[in-house]
Amino acid sequence: MRRVLALIAAIALAGALVISAAAAPAVTPTRGGTLIVGSGVDAVTLDAPMITDSPSATVSEHMVESLYRLTPEGKIVPMLALGHTVSPDGRTWTVRLRTGVRFHDGTPFDAEAAKFNLDRMLDPATRAPFRFLISRVTSVTVVDSSTIRLVTDAPFAPLLAHFTHSSVGMQSPTAVRRLGADYARQPVGTGAFKFKEWVRGDRVVMTRNDDFWGEKAFLDEVQFRVIPDDGARVAALEAGTIHVAVRIPPREIERLKGARDFTVSVDDSLRTIYVGFNVTRPPFNDGRLRRALNHAVNKRAIVNSALYGTARVSDAPIVPAVEGYSKIMTYEWDLERAEALLREAGYSRARPLRAVFHHPSGRYIRDAEIAASIQGLVRRAGIELELRTMEWGAYLALTNRPQPENDVQMYMLGWGTVTGDADYGLYALFHSSQWVPTGSNRSFYKNERVDSLLDRGRTTTVQADRNKIYAEAMRVIMDDAPWLFLHSESQVTGIRHVAQGVVVHPAERIELFKAWIRR
Amino acid sequence: MWAYIVKRLLLSIPVIFGVAFMVFAMVRIVPGDPARIIAGEAATQEIVDGIRKDMGLDRPLLRQFATFIGNVLRGDFGRSVRSKAPVAGEVAARLPNTIRLATAGLCVAIVVGVSAGIISAIRPYSWMDTVVMLVALAGLSMPVFWSGLMLILIFAVWLGWLPAVGTGGMAHLVLPAITLGMSTAAIIARMSRSSMLEVLRSDYIRTARAKGLAEAAVVNRHAFRNALIPVITVVGLQMGTLLSGAVLTETVFAWPGIGRLLVEGILARDYPIVQASVLVVAMAFVMVNLMVDVLYAVVDPRIHYD
Repeated sequence: MRRVLALIAAIALAGALVISAAAAPAVTPTRGGTLIVGSGVDAVTLDAPMITDSPSATVSEHMVESLYRLTPEGKIVPMLALGHTVSPDGRTWTVRLRTGVRFHDGTPFDAEAAKFNLDRMLDPATRAPFRFLISRVTSVTVVDSSTIRLVTDAPFAPLLAHFTHSSVGMQSPTAVRRLGADYARQPVGTGAFKFKEWVRGDRVVMTRNDDFWGEKAFLDEVQFRVIPDDGARVAALEAGTIHVAVRIPPREIERLKGARDFTVSVDDSLRTIYVGFNVTRPPFNDGRLRRALNHAVNKRAIVNSALYGTARVSDAPIVPAVEGYSKIMTYEWDLERAEALLREAGYSRARPLRAVFHHPSGRYIRDAEIAASIQGLVRRAGIELELRTMEWGAYLALTNRPQPENDVQMYMLGWGTVTGDADYGLYALFHSSQWVPTGSNRSFYKNERVDSLLDRGRTTTVQADRNKIYAEAMRVIMDDAPWLFLHSESQVTGIRHVAQGVVVHPAERIELFKAWIRR
Repeated sequence: MWAYIVKRLLLSIPVIFGVAFMVFAMVRIVPGDPARIIAGEAATQEIVDGIRKDMGLDRPLLRQFATFIGNVLRGDFGRSVRSKAPVAGEVAARLPNTIRLATAGLCVAIVVGVSAGIISAIRPYSWMDTVVMLVALAGLSMPVFWSGLMLILIFAVWLGWLPAVGTGGMAHLVLPAITLGMSTAAIIARMSRSSMLEVLRSDYIRTARAKGLAEAAVVNRHAFRNALIPVITVVGLQMGTLLSGAVLTETVFAWPGIGRLLVEGILARDYPIVQASVLVVAMAFVMVNLMVDVLYAVVDPRIHYD
């Protein structure tokens, strides 16, 4: 007994030593310097409500802030808002705003400015692609200089999460009015960094905002450089031309492990990769076949070989970092089970299941290779898939056709639940009102139970209740298997040791608010 | 001569017009809805339709084309559908970068190519000739995205002499110019070698040698100039290729030129960007061809233009 106790004490002591060693050298950040991030693509537009891609949002969020913010840990915290109250009927939201904040051009950020931005996004003429995030808001009124009141057409629980979206960023009304269409090239927000210049196809440069309302940034300047070629981006990191390289190809990780000047970090993202089935047409209107494919694919093998271990096998249609997630199930790799299901549905080795599998190339990490792996894996269960690789634009057009014309049987896509709320990840993809082209339900999935659960998830305001509702909805969805559930992508980022405090946000952003250069 | 130049310039108008129509038609035949791409995967149909209306895609093709040509004649290439920036400005910002890169690449190609070709031709079938022609063959067969990356690895990552990617001072121009010039240098080397060999075998060279002229003078004064004529044709053709072929080099070296603008435009279904950049490249082609023809007359007195 004494020996056991001594052993436990020794282990505890060793553990404490390791922990203190890891936590020990807290270096104080130094001010100044320029930090350069190498990105794969240029920003498209810097007018917040018009942004649809994460590279643009990464750049924009350093300058333009929203009312609330989703922290990398997945918590919603106030940013330009101080707090809010919701009326008992769940339809009237009163939002108190931070006072004394000014936009970079000197325009005060107040209730009028907030109303201007919300109204602008709600105005159909603006054609904001993410208008649906707040489209339930029927009116925005100014209560006093630092309070606004919003009325929604029904209780709408995800509204707070939607306020964290970069699309709902607060921009200077003066600048938006004055610059018109040219505003998209020179944004004016309240953020820790101010816009300096944008050399299209080359770089976006911003400088520290010394009048920032919060903790000021350490860096003098931040540059987002465009380096489209993966190999060149890695080389630029190795050569020290850039401090941070985003989207490093997974196959490079092993080689770069020995590097002395930088580390390669693998971080979770909010993006789920899946293969959808058209559940309204043969052959995949038969649930047994959808489940058979789910059992026939060895997802762990795909993650380990095609993605070099940089992904997580899905156990729900959304990822753990999303509010409302719970672990539901994984279709284990089981060829016997797959073959039994196929037999039950009337297929055999002599009469194999044949289907056409559409997929993009280059949009998601190793998408075409993953499609080929799936083709190879299911062949062992006696399923013959014909691959159709497509260019992104044509692919979207094909999968976006309305149900009567849509004959796509299987398609690969990804979905990033960037608001960090289950509603955004489930409603648009599984609610029957969201069939393409209205929403993003490309499987034409319709289940009344799921519909009513997702509706309830929107209007329920207590989070614990919502979590239960979503868990139940996801159980039904996974059992119905409108998707071949694959994995959630990771973000592979190279960061030089001199660049400290760089945050890789799960919403596929690089954050430099607290970054600094070690000298 | 001037009459010829004016005639050629007038003749190039229908060519440009034809290119404009082809590009206009092609970007609209390609599958994929630009409005959907701009709106993003999550946008509602209502918004996609709105964007389509804004872009004028709901109107008949011919009317769209008429509007497009009318605007172009006024120097208005429209606004980029994605970034909302005026296209003329986007092209004007990128074009000088491509011209700089193509010119530097051409200089590398001419200097390396012509000297290699002449060295080879003076001692045909020697070991030097074999080595030079082997290197030329290698340069011709190496894909740009590979040779460019190799240069970055050697000179930027290992040796640290030159910047890896991006624009800036002259140093930034060295690696992309070598990459771009390499395959063209190989073509020029082979061309100048055979052209030089042919000239060196001609009667007037034999005469020059017979009257006791030094070999250097024979090569420099008599052979070189005449051997250059077919090389000019190749250089002219390659200049066009360099302008458009800069696409890959620009991608590898993150060089913000017109080639990348075009690729970005195609991927984003940004019609105005694609139309304008193809038109500009086509115009450059026409101008270069004209310049080559004029240069011919200057170098070769046998050629007259009426």
